[in-house]
Order: sequence, then C-alpha cells, then structure tokens
Amino acid sequence: MAAPLELSCWGGGWGLPSVHSESLVVMAYAKFSGAPLKVNVIDKTWRGSRGDVPILTTEDNIVSQPAKILNFLRKQKYNADYELSAKQGADTLAYIALIEEKLLPAVLHTFWVESDNYFSVTKPWFASRIPFPLSLILPGRISKGALNRILLTRGEPPLYHLREVEAQIYRDAKECLNLLSNRLGTSQFFFGDTPSTLDAYVFGFLAPLYKVRFPKVQLQEHLKQLSNLCRFCDDILNSYFRLSLGDG
Amino acid sequence: MMAFLQMCNLPIKVVCRANAEYMSPSGKVPFIHVGNQVVSELGPIVQFVKAKGHSLSDGLDEVQKAEMKAYMELVNNMLLTAELYLQWCDEATVGEITHARYGSPYPWPLNHILAYQKQWEVKRKMKAIGWGNKTLDQVLEDVDQCCQALSQRLGTQPYFFNKQPTELDALVFGHLYTILTTQLTNDELSEKVKNYSNLLAFCRRIEQHYFEDRGKGSSSIKSS
Repeated sequence: MAAPLELSCWGGGWGLPSVHSESLVVMAYAKFSGAPLKVNVIDKTWRGSRGDVPILTTEDNIVSQPAKILNFLRKQKYNADYELSAKQGADTLAYIALIEEKLLPAVLHTFWVESDNYFSVTKPWFASRIPFPLSLILPGRISKGALNRILLTRGEPPLYHLREVEAQIYRDAKECLNLLSNRLGTSQFFFGDTPSTLDAYVFGFLAPLYKVRFPKVQLQEHLKQLSNLCRFCDDILNSYFRLSLGDG
Repeated sequence: MMAFLQMCNLPIKVVCRANAEYMSPSGKVPFIHVGNQVVSELGPIVQFVKAKGHSLSDGLDEVQKAEMKAYMELVNNMLLTAELYLQWCDEATVGEITHARYGSPYPWPLNHILAYQKQWEVKRKMKAIGWGNKTLDQVLEDVDQCCQALSQRLGTQPYFFNKQPTELDALVFGHLYTILTTQLTNDELSEKVKNYSNLLAFCRRIEQHYFEDRGKGSSSIKSS
C-alpha cells in the first residue's frame, strides 16, 4: 500500500522491541503479515496522547487499540490469517478471549499493581519516557486503572480482600499458561508453520512477562517452566525482531 | 445452568425466589442447594458436581479441554457482557423493561434505588473493561462475531465436541436461549443469533431433548 503506516508505541528493553503488551501484539502482527510499519518509539518529546498507545497513523486515519489496528491492517490486505480455516479463525477469537480474561489481570498486576515491581521497575521505566510533570501523574493513573479493572472484573464476592483476588487471578493465569502450553504442544506456531493473529497475541502477552526483570516473579517462574512457550517467544524474537533491534 | 444439570441427569427442583441474589453465597444466581450445602455460579457448581462423580468433559483430551475453556471465556466475555450492556446501558431497554423487572419484588422507593445502584455498578464495570464507549452497533457487531465463531466451531456436529454434550454446550445454550426468548425493546440481538441456522437448530435440539422430554416447562429462570 502506498500510504505510509506509522506506529507509535512504547519502546523496548530487556531484549524486547517493546515492553508494552498491546504495542508488542501490533508489532508482531505487522511482522507476520508483512505490513511495512514505521515504528515511532515514544520518548519524552512525543506529543500525542499516551493513554491510547499503540496508535497507528496513516495519511487519513488514526486508529488505536490493538483489535482495531489489526482489523485495519487486514482491510489493507495485510492478513496473517488467510491460511486459517473457519474453525481456526473461531478458535483464535476464543483463545484471545481466554487470554484477556485469565492472563491479562495477572499481567496487569505484575507490572502495575504489585508494589515492588511497580516502584522499582515499571514506574521508573515509563516515567523516563514521559515529560515532566506528566511523568509524575500518568504512571500512577495507569496503575490505578489497572487495579480498578482487576477489582471490578474479578473482585466480586466471595472474594472481598485484595489478597484473595490476587491469589485467584494468579491461579487463573497459571492455568491459562498451562492451557496455552498444552495447545501449542510441539508445534512451532499455534496453527501450523506460519504465525497468525493468535501467535501475535500470545507473544505480545507472554514476552514481557518472560523477559522483563522483576523483583516479584511468581508468574514468570511458572512461565519459565513451560519450555515450549519460552521457546515460542525466543523463536519469534530471533526470527522476526533480531534485525530491527539493531535499528532501535 | 439448568441445561448443565439436566445433561448430567441429575434430578432438580427449580425455585424462583425474589431474594435469590442474597441467598447465594457469592451474590450471584443461579445457585444450587444440595442437602446442607449451597454452591453458586457455573464454575464452582461444575466442580461440585464433578466431585460428586458426574462430569461431562471426562471424555475430552487436554487440547480439547483447553479449547472448551477458551470458548467458555469467549462466551462469557462477549455474550454475557453484551447481555449486561443491553439490559443496563441501552437507555431504551433500561427505561422500559429492566428497571421495572429488577425492582418488581420490592416496594417503592426501594425498587428505584436498587435498580439505579445496579445500573451504576454495571456501567462502572463496562468502563473498566473498555466497553464504556461502545455504541449499540459495535456491541451488536461483537455479538455477531462471537456467534459466527460459535457457529463455525459447531459446524454440522450435534454438540460442540461431537457426540457428547459438555459444559460449553450448556453455557452456550443458556445464553442463546435467553437471548432468543427474552422480550426486549429491540430484537436486533436475537436477530443476530437467528442468522446462524446451526445455532438455532442446536438450541432447539437441546430444548427438546433435555427439557420437553422430561415434562418440564420451557421457561427459563432469570436472575431478577
């Protein structure tokens, strides 16, 4: 397509092109589908609204949210799923729902709610990429939003105490990781030999969990035991992102 | 829920109670009362029934169990949220039907207060998961996508995992049946479902097989 596609997203670290799950999902999908994206990493000088990141900008459109961005790319004929059968397409939707319901709360918690992790890793990393004085406000806002989301969707009776909710969401996340591992088995990707949307989503959520160095790491430890999922992340990093890491 | 218990061949007696939400240990209907134990919500009820020796998904291998769980999440994510949205965030439906139905067991002014409170709670939840800004059309589109996925997964099989019904079949039946039989101000939601003939046939088959055969009426119990 002629129109240049620009993706604005959070940058990388620890060997990843981005530490932000949703940005990573879009980047991975773009690599899989061959979409020529120009990636703009957000730093202090970036002027846009950071709450909506990742954002795809073309000549006439601005699209936010991974699902919408992926839809847009598909309409532009960058489709990573054209080899999938109808049933596999349906499975993709189901597994994405599973990830969003069961894994996302725990990932949000690990990054944004767990105090040791948040104060020593997440907040400094994001604050250094946000101009003052927003750097004082925005990370806190994201953190509260994450906690809110966790409590509203999972914190219903009989789980009244935050600690019980935390225990439950980590249990669910571990189960979800086990299910994904079972489903992947020994295949290279979730649907055969070529990566698809589901692979982009799984990679987007698992890779930061796998690579970012946190003080409190229970979910990471669990993930590291599932060697096929780790191999899956490493394969994608090596095959699709090794060259672009050099360009930053 | 009823479908699940019927599928397990367990004899059940259905009771409608106004304070059902409060009797339940987790604040959610439906719940079952067995002897001196009370268990609520689909997940724990399934576990409970399993512990008593009845399970529908024993015949599935690990990969299929993973698929089943994934599809159950999809249904919960999309259909349940869409149903909640329609009941509580669509102004027309809220004004005409939901408020009245939710508050009906209670005297004035309690009926209004409780209904508003519930509406506020639901709206908060919608906002947290990012559905706060969705329009009705977008919600309907999501439902359509979900039904399409379910329809494709079901294909021409009698149940989602071929010959035997599982928890997923019970869950899907419960939601689709509710959507098809509930009177709302606009019928677009049930029209979306009706577009998929294999899903319609699926519902009819389960209804006939598990409900009418046993001489029970086909009215569904709704939380109110």
